[in-house]
Amino acid sequence: MRAPAARVARPGRSRQSAWIHRRDRRGLWFVVPFLVAFLLFMIAPLGYAIYTSLYTSRIIGGTVFSGGANYTTTLQSGAFWSGTERVIIYAAIQIPVMLAIAFFFATIFDLGVAKWGRLFRTIFFIPFAVPAVVGAVMWAFLLEPQFGPFVHAANGIGLHNVNFFSSNLMLPSIIVIVIWEWTGYNMVILYTALKSVPRDVVEAAILDDTPLWKIIVRVKLPLVRPAIVLLVFLNLIGALQLFTEPLILQYFQTSAISVNYTPVLYIYNTGIAGAQYNLAAAAAVVLGLVIVVISVGSLAFRRSRGGVS
Amino acid sequence: MSTVSLEGLTKVYANGVEAVSGLDLRVADGEFVVIVGPSGCGKTTALRMVAGLEEITSGTLRFGDRVVNDVSPRERDVAMVFQNYALYPHLSVHQNIGFSLANRKVPREERDVRVRAAAAVLGLSDMLDRKPRQLSGGQRQRVAMGRAIVREPSVFLMDEPLSNLDAKLRVQMRSEVLRVHRKIGVAALYVTHDQTEAMTMGDRVAVLRAGVLQQVSGPRELYECPANLFVATFIGSPSMNLYEAALAAPSASATSSASPSASPSAATTTAAATGGDQGGAAIVLGSQRLSLPAAVLKRNPALAAYVGRAVVVGIRPEHLSDPAHAGASPEPGTGLTVEVDYVEVLGSEQLVHFTIDARRVRDESDQPGAAGDGDQGEIVAASVSEGVARIDPRSVIPARGRAVFGVDVERLHFFDPDTGDAIAPTGRAAPG
Amino acid sequence: MSPATTVESHSQNAQAPGESPSRRGWWLRGAGGGGRRGRGRRRAADDGVPEDVIPIEMYGLKRGTTTVLTVVCALFALFTLAPIAWIVINSTKTQANIFETFGFWFARPFALFHNFALLGQNVDGYGTYIQWLGNTALYAVLGGGGATALAAFAGYGFARFSFRGSRSLFYLVIAALLVPISAITLPLYLTYAKVHLINSIWGMILPSMVSPVGVYLMRVFVEVSVPRELIDAARLDGASELRIFFRLALPLMVPGLMTVLLLSVVGVWNNYFLPLIIFSQNRLYPLTVGIGLWAQRAQNSGNAELFPMVVIGGLVTIIPLVALFLVLQRYWRSGLLLGSIAN
Repeated sequence: MRAPAARVARPGRSRQSAWIHRRDRRGLWFVVPFLVAFLLFMIAPLGYAIYTSLYTSRIIGGTVFSGGANYTTTLQSGAFWSGTERVIIYAAIQIPVMLAIAFFFATIFDLGVAKWGRLFRTIFFIPFAVPAVVGAVMWAFLLEPQFGPFVHAANGIGLHNVNFFSSNLMLPSIIVIVIWEWTGYNMVILYTALKSVPRDVVEAAILDDTPLWKIIVRVKLPLVRPAIVLLVFLNLIGALQLFTEPLILQYFQTSAISVNYTPVLYIYNTGIAGAQYNLAAAAAVVLGLVIVVISVGSLAFRRSRGGVS
Repeated sequence: MSTVSLEGLTKVYANGVEAVSGLDLRVADGEFVVIVGPSGCGKTTALRMVAGLEEITSGTLRFGDRVVNDVSPRERDVAMVFQNYALYPHLSVHQNIGFSLANRKVPREERDVRVRAAAAVLGLSDMLDRKPRQLSGGQRQRVAMGRAIVREPSVFLMDEPLSNLDAKLRVQMRSEVLRVHRKIGVAALYVTHDQTEAMTMGDRVAVLRAGVLQQVSGPRELYECPANLFVATFIGSPSMNLYEAALAAPSASATSSASPSASPSAATTTAAATGGDQGGAAIVLGSQRLSLPAAVLKRNPALAAYVGRAVVVGIRPEHLSDPAHAGASPEPGTGLTVEVDYVEVLGSEQLVHFTIDARRVRDESDQPGAAGDGDQGEIVAASVSEGVARIDPRSVIPARGRAVFGVDVERLHFFDPDTGDAIAPTGRAAPG
Repeated sequence: MSPATTVESHSQNAQAPGESPSRRGWWLRGAGGGGRRGRGRRRAADDGVPEDVIPIEMYGLKRGTTTVLTVVCALFALFTLAPIAWIVINSTKTQANIFETFGFWFARPFALFHNFALLGQNVDGYGTYIQWLGNTALYAVLGGGGATALAAFAGYGFARFSFRGSRSLFYLVIAALLVPISAITLPLYLTYAKVHLINSIWGMILPSMVSPVGVYLMRVFVEVSVPRELIDAARLDGASELRIFFRLALPLMVPGLMTVLLLSVVGVWNNYFLPLIIFSQNRLYPLTVGIGLWAQRAQNSGNAELFPMVVIGGLVTIIPLVALFLVLQRYWRSGLLLGSIAN
């Protein structure tokens, strides 16, 4: 007997379904441990963040309810918004470039048009095992303006006075680092999505005399759209919370990274270093809303564009 | 000029598995040829070699006069209908059908005209804007066919296109497929595991087993003159009853073949059982004997060489009858006493499952009943010795117990017990 | 529909070995000569491993495309491996050499072992690497293992039971992915302050056990790999739900478990933000925070050892995870496959 789909309880259920309901309720027990942890460590802190943001602590006077005061401060804060603007620009560049590279390689491996595909795939995935801190440190050394090998290489091809940590090049450098860290992961997901395109659809396309580029763009790409949407979504959420890489790079070049370089840096510096918890909480909530709006917005945008080629 | 010639086509995979061995087949322009066989017999592989989706290991493939072994699938001008339809899920029916035309840079207006024409042939005209996921199985199948015919190909290939449809729809679609084929009139190669489909649809049917062609001929010939045990059991449902038997010289002492419950006149029975018909033979079937008229031996001289040897005798279920129903008793030498196991009442006929004490011969591909997809080598346990007879629906057959059936001895089939080949005359002398 | 796997090579033909098929009789057309049982040329597949891919010849590519693309892949591989090579090479150098010699080649003196030994010391009171390594392993195993366990239970519960509200609850869990970690961590810290969980290992481990992605992946996996009929049959046999879960379902869920385990362990191992905020005592730091601290101090302190320590520390941080990957490779391949199919 198959268990019915989620049923809404109605008064006067028949005796027959009572057993099924009792049995299904046992399923709840399986979910409870996770739910408890989920509520305690994700939902409750969120609630507490909102609560805290509505108060202000002063050295004199203690903690008082201040309503939307912290929010006003945040929303009017040029520091916060400039950081937000920066990560949006950063995301707008980094995500498409990275996904394009990932899709390019995923396609190559899916088609099998390069040798030693499995070896390359494994190599490309290695950065996923590297913590962002270590990755940032490695790249900091590589790009170091005075001693880094990449500067020597740039000199070698005739580009002098290249400072990867200058205010112009800092963001592009971060983009390079993040692309290094995450392309492999994105590529693996796209590769597995491509592999699940039914083989006979591609064979039909071949028999229909479809050139290769068209097979990729008009047959395969539309069919992996769900994976791409998922990746855009996940990458977006991560990109808007950029933190570790600028923080580490700041140790190497203090002047290039300000305390509000990214919103999360702003929150961190305000909340922990500056001990202004309430303000930081408000900023965190605002950031959360921005992220929700942008992510959901990007999903809706993708859906409405339709898939007709 | 779209004849297709497979000459000695062989496919060996990298792991050494030989999927198709030396396949010789010719499809004439406009002919509808069906390749049939159990799953794993290499029929799909053969089809894919014709399409160009599998590399040909050895042998020659010709379209017309042109050798196409190394021609890419795009340039072969073949169209194929896949088992799972392989429609482009994100495109509409119109776009699916017109996809190949778009690739060939056919201008939009002309493309539209041709797509609509193809859609009209297949009854898809009001579905052109739908996506595949909004269509039923049968409709998707028709879109797949539309996509194939709109290109006006020289060769039309179909890989089990109906096997994913439910039984009723399958029967309907069979005539659809034939109707469409008649309209486009090119050489067609159709692959299926369903022998009923093969028999009802093919101009000619090629039976394949483990990569080797067993027989290719028209459906009637295939049915009436199977070339070996495999074809005999594969074609026809319920399958032919096959038993180990022996041919004896007619003068051997007779054992009465009539059961006590019938009412024969004992004298005539005994006389007949001794092969009173001079020149005939006796078929020793377990403890019973049937007599083979001399005329049969005359028609089939090869059979005469087997007198005194073991043979395999095949009786089609419809060649057994119930003489008691007409109030008569079986002709002398044609009565077979059986133990009835159970009776399937179909309304139009009865299928009587019985046992006799002869040893049944089973070919591994024996399919019990309809379009079953039997695995190679699977042993069907308890019913090994079971035979099936097709009896008039009004006969009264005891659900258990004995019955006496009449055997149409003129229509018996004989096979060599070692090679499995049919014992048949060279030249066209099909018995019945 | 993969022809390669559906053909068996029994020698079932009624034909005697060595006999030419054309002897099969006059029923066959074109019998003259028939087919030869020839051995065609074998197709060697790439890597020696036959894959079920469409042969690339069918795509009609220009000659040399494969070579060009392989070169492109090699270039990106160089890009990917460059920092790794750098860190391996430079972990053998002294601080002076790190800055003064060519980054991608060795230099004397060969200081690998010396640097390695430094990891055991508490340099300048910033903390001991070995201790951090132990911490990280502890957090990763307990946190990652816990996350996998919770996700397995929850995924099974969501997939195979339909209690009231299960659908909405599941959507809520997935929606939690939207919530930025930065919004959660700070208040988490404040909460900890109240309940004395600051500077407690549980403050790190417990939140790490919450993995909505893990629940999602496990649910997908259960739906695909654990048939309802199996569970129903076991119920009819009188097995309790827990028993069914542990005895029947769990063994079928292993590849999914491995994937989630791998992802969770990597996630905890590499986590930086949470421990940065909740730990103020450096003896509790995981490797990420510790190395970050060193990197920060190395710029300003006069200690000539900190930079090499950062380098070799980074190297040793990476090694266990990369090893874990290579060992568990086949699991995360199939697991990720299912995860994306479900999308």
